[in-house]
Amino acid sequence: MTRKSRRLWLVVACMIGLGSAAALTLSAFSSNIVFFMAPSQVQAKPPPADRTIRLGGMVVAGSVRRETVKDSPVAIFDVTDGQAAVTVRYEGILPDLFREGQSVVAVGTVNRDGTFRASEVLAKHDETYMPKEVAEELRRSGKWDPRFGKAPDAASWNTMTASDAAKKTATQTPDGN
Amino acid sequence: MTHLPYIVAAYGLTIGVAMVLSINATLRLRQARRRLAAIEQPGRTRQPS
Amino acid sequence: MPPRTDGSTLNVTQSLTARTGNLFHRYANPGRFLRMGARLQPWLTWPALVLSIIGITWGLFFSPADWQQGDSVRIMYVHVPTAWLASSGYMGIAICSVLSLVWRHPLADLAAVEIGPVGAAITAVCLATGSLWGKPMWGTWWVWDARLTSVLVLFFLYLGHIALIRAFDEPQRGYRAAAILGLAGAIDLPIIKFSVQWWNTLHQPDSITVTGAPTMSTSMLWPLGLTTLGFTLGFGAIVLARLRAAVMESRMRTILAANRGRQSAPQHNSTP
Repeated sequence: MTRKSRRLWLVVACMIGLGSAAALTLSAFSSNIVFFMAPSQVQAKPPPADRTIRLGGMVVAGSVRRETVKDSPVAIFDVTDGQAAVTVRYEGILPDLFREGQSVVAVGTVNRDGTFRASEVLAKHDETYMPKEVAEELRRSGKWDPRFGKAPDAASWNTMTASDAAKKTATQTPDGN
Repeated sequence: MTHLPYIVAAYGLTIGVAMVLSINATLRLRQARRRLAAIEQPGRTRQPS
Repeated sequence: MPPRTDGSTLNVTQSLTARTGNLFHRYANPGRFLRMGARLQPWLTWPALVLSIIGITWGLFFSPADWQQGDSVRIMYVHVPTAWLASSGYMGIAICSVLSLVWRHPLADLAAVEIGPVGAAITAVCLATGSLWGKPMWGTWWVWDARLTSVLVLFFLYLGHIALIRAFDEPQRGYRAAAILGLAGAIDLPIIKFSVQWWNTLHQPDSITVTGAPTMSTSMLWPLGLTTLGFTLGFGAIVLARLRAAVMESRMRTILAANRGRQSAPQHNSTP
């Protein structure tokens, strides 16, 4: 009994020690674990031109311009974190999820004029999962424009969805299209 | 459906691994049960040998 | 002749139970475990099968397409349950490790041996389905962000545990070493859980949280809940079946060792 409880306390003590060591290490390195920099950080402290960084933020609504240079598509758009905006130039095919108001992570370098030259653009989607019809309904009724920010509180639509979808499938096609 | 190859691959992989794990576990359990029965039961009944 | 052999087997079994008293002490009666396991097995296997089939069919054909991800959101119905099981399986190993280190519970050691490969396979499926989801949505198979990296670390922890617990000729030493790894590796679990909150990652935060309402349509929540429950029961069913087989195999080894002992026992008894 005493040996058992001694082993138990030994295990507990080791876990506490290991846990706090891991917590301290992680908090010490937390700035290095950051996957991307925000536009305001990039503008406040521009990294050297030869250093590849990741720039993360939201695509500003109405800022996307698409061109074609020598048969390859080029996209120019602004990325913002609400405080500052950085213009990004990307040559290549954008991911399917790319759109105005979408969060993206661009990999590349900062030019001397402060613009960003991306070699890769990744789309970051949020944790909101919503049927297509509901999103269109919200847009049509003017409750939410995906180009300007996150979806409204899920409580306002996730229950409406079920009855709404049921009504729609009942009135529309029988195969749910 | 959009992105069909990715969806098919994801579901195929998941179902495939689940089936391999289940079949492996079933066969192992069956074999263990059979072997245990083979050495346990005769051992008790055929004591003189 | 028969009575004498009977007596010697009785002696052997008595010394055997004394010896296996260390192995299977009063907390873990293998006979009782096998009886209870056999009774429990169908209650895990069949619901797991039914719920998984309903959930997968629902997720594939009857749930709505996402407004931004289209149909590829359906990968979620297999990705999220495997991610949950990857963490839960390791949590199971960590619990077995405590039972093994503190109480020397022999069933916990066998359970840790059997959870390892299943958990590793599920973690590999989680990583692969995540990749298959990330390519069309994010535009990349893999990024080194905190969530993805910490799950990859979990996969390697599984592999390390599998290797370590089988690495020694004397199983007890392997159990001890693997239990220490199992406990130390549990540090990775909160890191996986909170990685999407502590650091900015490409991976989105959890849609289902303990505190807040889910940021997911109920029409998607249902198939997700079904596959999660079904896969979890299936994981339990597979681990239970493997554990039952492992207990039978260990009993088989004990009997074979006893038979060998019985063959040599009369000579031993006659020499003094």
